[in-house]
Amino acid sequence: MSIFRRFLGRLGASLIVLVGVSMLIFFIARIIPGDPARIALGPRATEAQVEQMRETLNLNEPTIVQYGLFMGDLVRGDLGISLYSNRPVMTDLVEYLPATLELVLLAGFMMVMIGLPLGAISARYRGRWPDNLVRVLTLLAVSAPAFVWAVGLVLVFAYFTPLFPITGRISDTLDIERVTGFLLIDTLVAGRFDGFLSALHHLILPAFALSLSGIGQAARLTRSNMIATYEQPAIEMAQAYGFSEARIARRYAFKPSLIPSLTIIGLDFAALLGNAFLVEVIFAWPGLSRYGVGVILQKDLNAIVGTVLIISATFLIANIIVDFLVSILNPRIRFSEDNP
Amino acid sequence: MIFDTKTKLLSTTVLALTLAAAPLAAERVLRADEVAVGEIDPAKGTDYADTILAINLYDTLVYPKQGGSGVQPHLATEWSIDGATYTFKLRADVTFNSGNLLTANDVVYSYERMIAMGQGNASLFAGVVESVEAKDDHTVIFNLTSPFAPFLATLVRMPIVDMATVKSHEVEGDWASTWMSQNSAGSGPYVITSHDPQTETVLSYEADYFMDPVAGHPETVRFRYGLEPSTVRALMSRGEHDISSQWLPPEVYAGLAGEGAKLVTEAGLTGEYFKLNTQRAPLDDVHCRRALAYAFDYATMAQLTQIDDDTSTGNPMSGAIPQGMAGYDASLPVFAQDMALAQEELAKCAYNPADYPLDVVFIAETPARERGALMMQAIYSTLGFKVDITRTPWALLTEQVTAPATAPHVVEIAISAASPDTDSLLYAMYHSSQPPTWISSSYYKNPDLDALLDQGRVETDPDARQDLYAKANAILAAEVPDIFAYELLSPFAVREGVTYHNLEDPARTYPTSGFNMRFADISVPEAN
Repeated sequence: MSIFRRFLGRLGASLIVLVGVSMLIFFIARIIPGDPARIALGPRATEAQVEQMRETLNLNEPTIVQYGLFMGDLVRGDLGISLYSNRPVMTDLVEYLPATLELVLLAGFMMVMIGLPLGAISARYRGRWPDNLVRVLTLLAVSAPAFVWAVGLVLVFAYFTPLFPITGRISDTLDIERVTGFLLIDTLVAGRFDGFLSALHHLILPAFALSLSGIGQAARLTRSNMIATYEQPAIEMAQAYGFSEARIARRYAFKPSLIPSLTIIGLDFAALLGNAFLVEVIFAWPGLSRYGVGVILQKDLNAIVGTVLIISATFLIANIIVDFLVSILNPRIRFSEDNP
Repeated sequence: MIFDTKTKLLSTTVLALTLAAAPLAAERVLRADEVAVGEIDPAKGTDYADTILAINLYDTLVYPKQGGSGVQPHLATEWSIDGATYTFKLRADVTFNSGNLLTANDVVYSYERMIAMGQGNASLFAGVVESVEAKDDHTVIFNLTSPFAPFLATLVRMPIVDMATVKSHEVEGDWASTWMSQNSAGSGPYVITSHDPQTETVLSYEADYFMDPVAGHPETVRFRYGLEPSTVRALMSRGEHDISSQWLPPEVYAGLAGEGAKLVTEAGLTGEYFKLNTQRAPLDDVHCRRALAYAFDYATMAQLTQIDDDTSTGNPMSGAIPQGMAGYDASLPVFAQDMALAQEELAKCAYNPADYPLDVVFIAETPARERGALMMQAIYSTLGFKVDITRTPWALLTEQVTAPATAPHVVEIAISAASPDTDSLLYAMYHSSQPPTWISSSYYKNPDLDALLDQGRVETDPDARQDLYAKANAILAAEVPDIFAYELLSPFAVREGVTYHNLEDPARTYPTSGFNMRFADISVPEAN
């Protein structure tokens, strides 16, 4: 099976999953207690006004009919109006998704660039002080949720030592035209390197807070996998050939150990979208996770479904990418698929 | 050598990032925050943040009376009332931010738009107005369906929009609903620069505004949403935030005060009520309700509202009506705990407390209210009640209270008057015609009270209305549909150097919740 055909197969399966998710969340959202029309209009609204709103939102139709209407609108790219923001849900998603993705992507980057080397160092110096230090630090990292780190980092690096900004995505004084919504890109597109630095400056603390748990997990996983790999005959063979320790670590121990770590990092990356909520709240980050919680509390049906669909799609895409990376790293998977 | 190079690189990067974060130019900016989301379309907004946005972006015919009660002229310079006909003379010198002159046609359009959209404060006018007509450019006439005494006060909730601008953005008869949630079309002292409903609204001052601002008013306002208390604390400590929201935990206010911030409070005609479900046993028996009210520990409740020695977020109440509203009687004693009377009333109650566990609910999103529930649990157990406390999310509570059978026995809720008129508070809470919502979740039905509230709507003489609402207040105090815990004073932490004139000087205070935060009435330091 060619990689292209396999990609198409995964894409098709993902679409089916998304339809399933849309049905599930559509019906679950309607089970959540509370009349969305009443919540939106407030306690002083008359029954007639509430009824008018229910008609507008098609809430008086049978649920299956509502779903049909929703899917019809979705195909046309219309997710309806959000009762939370009073804007088209699509506008909200387009605005908030890039902010969260930028945060999550940098957090994922940090997980890989810090977590994997730490794990490798720890395994390489197994039982010695660098290993012990990494194990203690990573245990700390995984044992506290992201929002605890967020508050701690704000205290240390923004409150006591004001090195980093606390809120927002970029300095208030900079006006950058939004093209992609990713400020690191938009600032460069606009030729504003000062804006790029400002966006990066705002991004570092929340992304680091979000990534810390993943860094710890990636490091610990890489360490244990590498230690297991070190016990393989191939390593002894490499040592017998007189290869340098650095080459053995990098080429014969680290690379095979990367595969399970990568799978977990892929799942962690998708989970970051959900975990980002409290980090976004603490750093006043205008992202999708914060929006998602807001719309659930408001019982904003259109926005709930839209948000869940977007997060599901991101999760599926992340998994497809990880699968392909793993198949590239592991020839056995690649060849077994080519020669079933 | 390599170490030196890396160190230099790191130092340069940190320096560059720090410089990037520094403001390029100083300007006079006010930074404040509020709840999770803000709505700028005046036909949709209802809550505190929406009110603040509305009063700064738009003007109304009348405004709550500064330093007093009732209303004062604003866009309307004068008015006459002839039974059910209200005639307003408008200022001739007011222009919208677009440059269009504000005329009576804009008033007519604003009313029609609000009613047609059926959201926000439209319910306050439902069934009240028969027609609105522009007699000439500067005279507008409201013909009511019948005399409605609270009408003038209700008009503080009807911002006037620029008809020409709004109409030019209408799409398929949508009253420019989507456009108006992103842009402003008002005559107010500020205009929208940018608006993100869950992050911040940026407003800039309009120099042509028809009223004078205070010296040092902000040129730019950054009105932020959904900031965490820890974030607000850090921002204010760094001098990057000027006025906090009213929703911080008491310890954060105290901490900010300790770091030099001023604490001010706003009495916005808001009561903190423990709603009693009068349709469920044992609280359908007035004696049981009275027993709970007498046993309630008002003094401890008052302690819980204390931020520091000088600042409290609650005033004791003597009835259902907060200070400053018609019907409030300053001569009445404030409520106080009396266990002997509680036992006496309990003895008259038809129910055995042991057979009727009370479910007391506090709203999950306001965890501080758990203290009130725990206090009730401790006290009412001495009367023989078993009290079950439940933490309920707001969305679930709104569903539960739509029927007395599913509503809890007790729930603590703060309820604000929508306008400076007592009617806007009591009618929604206690008139038997009201739909079952969290405001009316005591489900109290009393024909005598209904009659008084109905008379209050048609009686225009202020003294007679004072008398009517005083009688209503007496009924409520005796019948105890709610426990009137305290009058809520909303606290705000104000950064040193910023002056919140309307709350720091009682003579300047507007009596309605949210109406004090007129940004043009706040002074901020020049270099901010």
